[in-house]
Amino acid sequence: MRDNTLKYLLVLPAILVVFATAVWPLIQSFRFSLFQGRLTRPGFPQGFLGFENYVWALTEEPAFWNSVAVTAVYTVLTVGLTVALALGLALLLVPGGRFRMSVQTLLILPFAMSPALIGVSFRFMFNPEFGLFDAFFGLVIPPLADISWLSDPVLAFAVCVMADVWGWIPFLTLVLIGGLAAIPRDTIEAAQVDGASGWQVFRDVTIPQLLPVLAVVIILKSIFSLKTFDQIYMLTNGGPGTATQTLSHYVYFNGLKYGQLGYSAAVAWLMVIPMIFLTYAYAKLVFRRTQQ
Amino acid sequence: MSAASRRKFWRTAQAVVIVIAVAIMIIPIIWIFMAAFKSHVDVYQLKLLFKPTFSNFATVFASPYKLGDKLVNSTIVATTTVAIAIPVATLASYSFSRFRMRGETTMLVMILATQFVPAVVIVLPFFVMFRDVGLLDTRTGLVLVNLAIVMPFAIWMIKGFIDGIPIDTEEAAMVDGSTRLQVIRNIVLPMAAPGLITSGIFCFIIAWNEFLFALIITNKESVTLPIGLALFKAEEGDLWNLLSAAGIIIMLPMFVLALIIRRHFVQGMTMGAVR
Repeated sequence: MRDNTLKYLLVLPAILVVFATAVWPLIQSFRFSLFQGRLTRPGFPQGFLGFENYVWALTEEPAFWNSVAVTAVYTVLTVGLTVALALGLALLLVPGGRFRMSVQTLLILPFAMSPALIGVSFRFMFNPEFGLFDAFFGLVIPPLADISWLSDPVLAFAVCVMADVWGWIPFLTLVLIGGLAAIPRDTIEAAQVDGASGWQVFRDVTIPQLLPVLAVVIILKSIFSLKTFDQIYMLTNGGPGTATQTLSHYVYFNGLKYGQLGYSAAVAWLMVIPMIFLTYAYAKLVFRRTQQ
Repeated sequence: MSAASRRKFWRTAQAVVIVIAVAIMIIPIIWIFMAAFKSHVDVYQLKLLFKPTFSNFATVFASPYKLGDKLVNSTIVATTTVAIAIPVATLASYSFSRFRMRGETTMLVMILATQFVPAVVIVLPFFVMFRDVGLLDTRTGLVLVNLAIVMPFAIWMIKGFIDGIPIDTEEAAMVDGSTRLQVIRNIVLPMAAPGLITSGIFCFIIAWNEFLFALIITNKESVTLPIGLALFKAEEGDLWNLLSAAGIIIMLPMFVLALIIRRHFVQGMTMGAVR
């Protein structure tokens, strides 16, 4: 068989699988979002509504805007904290040596943990009676002793952010160590010879050269923060009230608990919009990388 | 302070910070491990010394929890997902790596993009379809939706490995009269084997830890391990010693697998954006 035909045949099964498992559901979700779609009633989906579900979410639902706000603050905090702390840890670990290498090996472990399990662990750690972190915080900051973390809206949100940051720092550290190790030593040494201080070298030599990797890390983390569901579900289940209800959780609750599938498909599609921009930015980075 | 003693101070300070960071990272995991071997009474106290017991593991596998069933489901679902994803992805990755095609960039970006779509968007139509055709709460259904998250990773990761294989041997074999398919079978597959195994392990971890799809698609027969955790939220509160024992059963195999492929983990997760 000629390569010209074969090359398309080889790709075909994969394209079909991706189409059936991702592209089709995406289109179908969009179709649902235009209908009155109640799971509990017969003849799903029921009446055609046009964009009314979208208008309803944007104008009539404070709960929707609440979950937008929760997701936005959550994303900004988790991305900022994770990237900053991971960068710090990566700078500490990049010199190598046996001690630092064994620490790097350990870093892989939290990332192999299922996010659902991280959620459970943090609920355990912050239990007001026998939680380890609760006891620790009580010792360091006495006003926080024996507080019921997960029943306070602000503190519960803080615990969710901590769980996420805890789970992601190790992985992002590993990525950034790779990025730091790829910076040519001589550019740093040249700056040091010229008398630049440690901070100047970091700001003027390291950061600019690390920028492509930092961009990858920030976009990737933003995408995963925007989608957050597993930990939240196991840790607070959106509560207390709706204080930690992210968009994914809101869609899940409305669509599958309350059976308003049409409406929640519309909200889900509103989530896709920021993803399109982030994916576009990410794809540009990937292809600049492969063309080098 | 002299330059030498200042350098020594900095080195110690760095080591201290690293040790603290590692402690924060490891202690919750160790705590779960300890709780799994504690008796019901000991869990409710912050003590380090206790009489270890294996009874929690016996309890989670016994009725009514039957974690063994969930373990079987998780293993079958993750293995089947990988067994479908890796061969299909390998063929495509070879083509993406070695040939130029019309619409190649579009296809690769589309594959990349599907990974970033929120899982809740994908699961709604599958829920409705599975309800209509009777695939709800089946392992087959779960494998189908898991392919959605695993395929993009598999394709991008394997493409990275095949890109790294020199093309010369293949060309020499073609000159000697081998067909393209023979080249793939006799030259590319053996050379890419370590990469394929790595990608398979990576996808296995993703499928094993998958939560949202399993939460929505399964409810009784085909429940996987992460969903099984919810069993231990009893009316009298969470059964922490049992949750911890179940947690260990979920995470320990993944720790082993992650350590095996640790060098390629970063590459896999970032889909070739970072090497």
